[in-house]
Amino acid sequence: MTATKPELGTWVGKGIDRVDGPHKVTGTAPYASDVTLPGMLHAVVVTSTVAAGTITKIDTSALLTLPGVRAVFTHENFPRLNHSPDVLFGEAPTTPMQDNRITFHGQEVALVVADTVQEATEAARLIEVTYAAETPLLDPADGRLETLPLSPDTSRGDTEAGWAAADVRVGATYRTPENTNNPLGLMGCVAAWDGDHLEIHDTTQGTIALRKTLAVMFGVPESGVRVRVPYLGGGFGAGLNQWPYKLLAAGAARELGRPVKVMLTRPQMFRLVGHRPDTEQQVRLGAARDGTLTMIEHRATSLSSIDFLAVGLITSGTPHLYTCPNVATVERTVRLNRRYPTSMRAPGEAEGNWAVETAMDELAHELGMDPLELRLRNFATAVDPADGKPWSSNAVVECCKVGAELFGWSRRDPRPSSMREGDLLIGWGMAAAGFFAYLPMSQARVTVYADGTAAVRSAATDLGTGTYTVITQLAADLLGLHPQQVDFQLGDSDLPASAQSGGSGLASSVSNAVIDAVAHLQGALLDLAGPDSPLHGQRPEDVMCRDGALCRRDDPSVRVPIADLLAGQNLVEASGDGRVRPPDPEAAAMAQAGAYGARFVEVAIDPMIGRLRVRRVVSVTDGGRILNQKLARSQIIGATVGGIGQALFEDTLTDPGTGRVANGTFGDYLVAVNADVPDVEVVFVGEPDRYTPAGTKGIGEIGLVGVAAAIGNAVHHATGRRLRDLPITIDQLMM
Amino acid sequence: MRAFVYDRPTAVGEAVAAVAADPQAAFLAGGTTQLDLMKDGVWTPDRLVDITRLPLRGILVESQQLKVGALTTMEQLAAEPVVAQRLAFVREALLHGASVQLRNMATIGGNLLQRTRCRYFRDPSVSACNRRSPDSGCAAVDNVARMHAVLGVDERCIALHASDVAVPLIAVEASVLVDGPSGQRRIPLTEFWVRADEGPSIENVLGHGDLITEIDIPLLPAGWRSGYLKVRDRASYEFALTSAAVALQMDGDMIADIRIALGGVGSVPWRAREAEDMLRGTHVDPVRFEQAGRATMASAFTVPGTAFKVDLAVRTLSRQLLTMTEAPR
Ligand SMILES: Cc1cc2nc3c(=O)[nH]c(=O)nc-3n(C[C@H](O)[C@H](O)[C@H](O)COP(=O)(O)OP(=O)(O)OC[C@H]3O[C@@H](n4cnc5c(N)ncnc54)[C@H](O)[C@@H]3O)c2cc1C
Ligand code: SF4
Repeated sequence: MTATKPELGTWVGKGIDRVDGPHKVTGTAPYASDVTLPGMLHAVVVTSTVAAGTITKIDTSALLTLPGVRAVFTHENFPRLNHSPDVLFGEAPTTPMQDNRITFHGQEVALVVADTVQEATEAARLIEVTYAAETPLLDPADGRLETLPLSPDTSRGDTEAGWAAADVRVGATYRTPENTNNPLGLMGCVAAWDGDHLEIHDTTQGTIALRKTLAVMFGVPESGVRVRVPYLGGGFGAGLNQWPYKLLAAGAARELGRPVKVMLTRPQMFRLVGHRPDTEQQVRLGAARDGTLTMIEHRATSLSSIDFLAVGLITSGTPHLYTCPNVATVERTVRLNRRYPTSMRAPGEAEGNWAVETAMDELAHELGMDPLELRLRNFATAVDPADGKPWSSNAVVECCKVGAELFGWSRRDPRPSSMREGDLLIGWGMAAAGFFAYLPMSQARVTVYADGTAAVRSAATDLGTGTYTVITQLAADLLGLHPQQVDFQLGDSDLPASAQSGGSGLASSVSNAVIDAVAHLQGALLDLAGPDSPLHGQRPEDVMCRDGALCRRDDPSVRVPIADLLAGQNLVEASGDGRVRPPDPEAAAMAQAGAYGARFVEVAIDPMIGRLRVRRVVSVTDGGRILNQKLARSQIIGATVGGIGQALFEDTLTDPGTGRVANGTFGDYLVAVNADVPDVEVVFVGEPDRYTPAGTKGIGEIGLVGVAAAIGNAVHHATGRRLRDLPITIDQLMM
Repeated sequence: MRAFVYDRPTAVGEAVAAVAADPQAAFLAGGTTQLDLMKDGVWTPDRLVDITRLPLRGILVESQQLKVGALTTMEQLAAEPVVAQRLAFVREALLHGASVQLRNMATIGGNLLQRTRCRYFRDPSVSACNRRSPDSGCAAVDNVARMHAVLGVDERCIALHASDVAVPLIAVEASVLVDGPSGQRRIPLTEFWVRADEGPSIENVLGHGDLITEIDIPLLPAGWRSGYLKVRDRASYEFALTSAAVALQMDGDMIADIRIALGGVGSVPWRAREAEDMLRGTHVDPVRFEQAGRATMASAFTVPGTAFKVDLAVRTLSRQLLTMTEAPR
């Protein structure tokens, strides 16, 4: 069925309140941590205190005599599991507790199961593990490290020729540290077996990926595994992977024949559910005197763990944002005895943008050109320079122009340290941003009932981003109903399969599946119309649902109540199934565009004591069709807060000798607090994207991209100091 | 589960006796330090003597001083009008500490006795910590130190005393009243804490079972001004990287008298007497301010992560001296 472009706008776009808001603020929304099952035991993960070597002895016998302790699992008695299956953006790292090998400090070495979490915690504290420790590989500069390509090198043109031809050149090394995702909701699960059937309440961002992983690894049919996650306390990517704690809980529950609950602690959140890995990047840019880029070279190396590699994506955006004939990207990773990396909000893009957009500012400075002007001169707005196809949408220029206008950019004195207020140095900086297009597969089912209400079902998750709400709005428009008449059910792998919430792709993915499902529903309803029905003989694309009736698109007064259609066939409901359709030929000829953005930032720096405050942020985003203005704005504000954190605070430190996380608590790992975040002006520009019927592009991550570079560029403007290593801290700013 | 006895006496004598009788007992006030240490497994007393029912709450305003009950919360003390009028830097230090939620729980007695935030101290899986287990070494010196001290420390321990309010309190020479197994005594705060370089495992002069009942805070004489500058990475809810508490009396363009203490730099709240002596009776002079700061920091012991603090502390003090000498209020 070809998807006709739906008419959206009665509810889609409106900034309605979250439909799940009342459940959240009244404390009735069930999170995994709230789940309690009859006979449930509590488990606590014990982690290694060395970063490399082997376990030579774990003495658990004494623990079993402690009150309440039911079992202690180690590599000696934990069940052997099958290999994990491939899952895009969500693999299981090494299967836990299969052997005595240790590859990072903080690795799972035992699981203590007891009647209460207090008993399990105390026993976990008393466990004695003996290691044959080896010297860990912890220094990124260590020549012995194994280096691997993380994604294929790309190149167009001849960068050396572009370098030689340039009138102005810049080149430097940039660093970004490890950041930890740290959703406020602690991650954990409750696993319960009934024979070969497993039900798990978890904090995953992808129910289907977890279902498949558990089924394969435990050797049970996929049909017998049910993953439930109706509510999530955030994730920022930490919920994408099939982390060991889930496998440990499921394994222990199976062995013990009782439900087992595992909730990680905050310090464990720094070790066991991934992080944004450190990067070191080299960028070289060349330009003609008029600012036309003659070459871009972007090389990146990220840090991986021994067994599990970083996600990458650091250089992948670089060939697409600017028209430049000579572009090369190289991306590598090295293996160290560090904890497992994963995706963290805008993975790779946030780090890569820091390097390239800082370099662009340096180039503008060298050219004596306004940094905004330099970008406007080089944006690839019409076609994707990597393959020459026309973009499905691209409003990066509008992002910049609207942002500049709102910010008052034209009043910027380009000379560093030229803008002052008393003792304070004022700096204005900007950065452009792009984000990759990602449209994973999802399915959805739309069901209408005789009472005029409808249900939408998909195994998606709502991280807190607003999936519940935006899909409800979309379905309300498609079905001609009020959102209160639409019930969107998600967070259950027994529902039609859905992608994970990740890569900013879920809203687009489920939206397109719902559009397709409604088209099929209309067909199914039309099938119910008998020969004497006024709709008899219509084609599915000629009818639509409105106010509980099926009617003609061209003449809505020709209508039959859905209740009558159902009653005529002795039915109580009718459904349509949908999925993300491949693009139609016209769309397929285009380069699918992701979101774009422009960030404008004002900082105030007290040079005597190095104090930096972000005073103003204007954040403009081209996200295609915006499904809910209010929630979309929240996404950009939240991402801006993350960007401020990336720029100024977040830095997961590792002890150089032992590989231990040095600051794995919220007292020591700083994230931005309210007082660090000024009013953020959020604007959306652009048109619905032409690649899919929904027209959305995904806005969960783009808001973070560019914030750090805009802040760093503002710091340069304020002080004349070019800082290339994040985070930017007081000790770098004392002047 | 680690069980412990929980007592909640209503009389000071009972509380002192309960702790004194049991070497593994500890007092519990607001719990914002004590419970963290227990959860982290750093300090797991067998008996917790909750003192919050003792009659030690409230502020008595006298003509020359405040008598502050040890259980008065940080918020209560900050809200006392006389503190705003006569001890501005105490109020500022209180309100720049922790968060309002914590300040509503945290007591002023507990604040003086808060333990170091050193992450190596607070993680029992780290074995090298001279403060926790004498002669085991110091993990912080070889690893990641930023929130650590540079004064009153050596390679055996660089733990910071992170209290904000203790900084102005030591500047005004507050004292504590202590009720202990051997009776009552008064200890000036200038003699209360023990520097890490004088023995990393002893933090103060209190003995087991000693209970702080009252903090006596002299009021600044009329005509003095005071202020507290706290420098930290984020704008709120963080301990100080460096801080400066300054109280002074101006005589025209001259500093007639002055009190200075620094926070964020010492293993104990750091009274800067040599800086006071250098500035007392001198005219306002930024160069001299900096020299006074340098003199204070001359004995700093630094590791790579803390080296910047020497300069930052000098600047923090200079800035605060400029503010206090420029803007009369
Ligand atoms: C997240 C966080 C941030 C913080 N930020 C700051 C900050 O920015 N600035 C700052 O100054 N502080 C800060 N603090 C520390 C906080 O101020 C202290 O934890 C608090 O003041 C301690 O008081 P309490 O009543 O909770 O003490 P408790 O935790 O109950 O006790 C602390 C210790 O003192 C003992 N004790 C308590 N009262 C007495 C008494 N009367 N006599 C004898 N012994 C006693 C206890 O046995 C215990 O060992 C922060 C704390 C946290 C958790
Ligand atoms: S600085 Fe002091 S408290 Fe910290 S690890 Fe060293 S000895 Fe222990």
